[in-house]
Amino acid sequence: MNQNAAKKTETSRQLIEVDNDIEAVNHLYRERRWGDGLPVIPPTRERVERMLGGTTRPADEVVAHVQPGFGAATVRLIAVNAVMAGCNPGCMPVLIAAIEAVTDPLFNLQGIQATTNAATAFLIVNGPIAAKLDMNSGLNCLGQGNWANATIGRALHLIMQNVGRALPGEMDRATQGQPGKFTFCCPENEADSPWTPLHVDRGFKPEQSAVTVVGASGTLNLLCHEKDAADLLRVLADSIRYPASNDYWCGGAPWVIIGPEHAEIFAAAGMDKETVRLGLWEQSKMKASRRSMRDLARTRDARTAELGEIGPDTLLPISPTPQDLGIIVAGGPGTHSVYIPTFGNTRSVTRQIKT
Amino acid sequence: MQKRQRQTLTIATTAFQVLARTQAKALGQPELPVAIIPHPLGPLSLKELHDIVDRQLDAMVKLVCEGNIK
Repeated sequence: MNQNAAKKTETSRQLIEVDNDIEAVNHLYRERRWGDGLPVIPPTRERVERMLGGTTRPADEVVAHVQPGFGAATVRLIAVNAVMAGCNPGCMPVLIAAIEAVTDPLFNLQGIQATTNAATAFLIVNGPIAAKLDMNSGLNCLGQGNWANATIGRALHLIMQNVGRALPGEMDRATQGQPGKFTFCCPENEADSPWTPLHVDRGFKPEQSAVTVVGASGTLNLLCHEKDAADLLRVLADSIRYPASNDYWCGGAPWVIIGPEHAEIFAAAGMDKETVRLGLWEQSKMKASRRSMRDLARTRDARTAELGEIGPDTLLPISPTPQDLGIIVAGGPGTHSVYIPTFGNTRSVTRQIKT
Repeated sequence: MQKRQRQTLTIATTAFQVLARTQAKALGQPELPVAIIPHPLGPLSLKELHDIVDRQLDAMVKLVCEGNIK
C-alpha cells in the first residue's frame, strides 16, 4: 500500500490488494488473523522501508526460524510486524536481538508457544539503548503509558504469532493465556539499583546494550513494608512459594523484580545481589507434600535425578541452583517487588543489542 | 526424521491434535503419521504412561506402517 486507493501488501509469500484505508486494512488483518486483537498500523511499503532504516542488517537476512511453525523471521518481516505494533525504527535492533534470544533452544520457544500454560516472553532491556529509546524503568514500568516498552513487547509477540504461527486456539494451546501475551517488556532500573546490572552480570560491558528473554507465566505483586532486610527477605521468599507452580515441578528459572526501595534496604544491610539470590533460593524451599499427590508424582518423575529420592518432607528448591533464580531491579518508589513465575522448562537468554 | 526417510510417528493428546497436524504441515510433512491419545498426560505417573504405551503399541506400529488412524 502507499497513498493510492488500492495498493499491495507484501508478505513473504504473496501480495494482496487492499484499499488504503485503516479500517479496511484492519478488517483484512482480522480476517487473516494477523493481529493480536488490537488495531494495527498498516505496514505500507513506505513505513516498512522507514522501519528498515533502523538497522544495518539486510532486509532479506533470515534472523531465525520461529517455532512452532518455523516461519523465517527475515529482517523485513520483523520490520513489518514492528510497523504493525507502532514501533519507531530505533526499536529494530532490540527486536532483532530479542528474536535471536527467544529462538535459542535454551529458551524452549516450542514449549512456551504451544503449552497450555500461560507462559510467554518477558523482555528485559539493559544498557544505554533504554534511555536512547526513552524507555520506562521506573514507576509503572510493567504497565501502560510508555511507547517503547509497549510497542517493543507488542512487536515481539506479533512476530511470535505471525511468523511463528502460534495462533490462539490452534498451535497456541494456552488454557487462559495472560495479558503479557499482548506486550511484556521493561528495562532494568540501573540508575536506582545498588547492584550491577543484569547484562554486566552476564558478561557484557556497562556501555553495551542487551536484551534478556524470560519464559514468564505472569506477575505477582509482592507488598512488604518491612525495613529489616532479613525479615523482608523471608517474606519475599515465602511469597514466591506456592504449590501449583511449574517451577517447583521441574526445577525452573523464575525471576524476582526487586523494587528500588526493597533493593536499598538489602544494600543498606550489606547484602549484595548474590546474597539476596541465595537467601531467596534457600528460604523458598517448599515441602513436597504441599503439592497435590498427582503433581508430587510428576515432581518425582522430573526431579529425582536432580534431588534424589523425593518424599513428602523433602524440601524442593524452586530452581536447580540459586543462579537459576533471576533478579533485576525495576520500578519506582513504593514498597513493592514483583515475582515472575516461569514455564519451568525454560531458561532465560541474553543477547547483545547491536546498533 | 521423516525428511531423512526414517519412518516416524508423532504421538499427541487430543488437546494438541491441531498443534501436531499444523506443525507437521508447517514443516512440510502433512502426511506425517500422528497418533492421538486422550488428554491429559500431565497428571499421569510414569507407570500409567507405560501402561498406555503397552496397550497402544500394536496400533502405533500399524499407524507407522499404514498412515494416520485414531
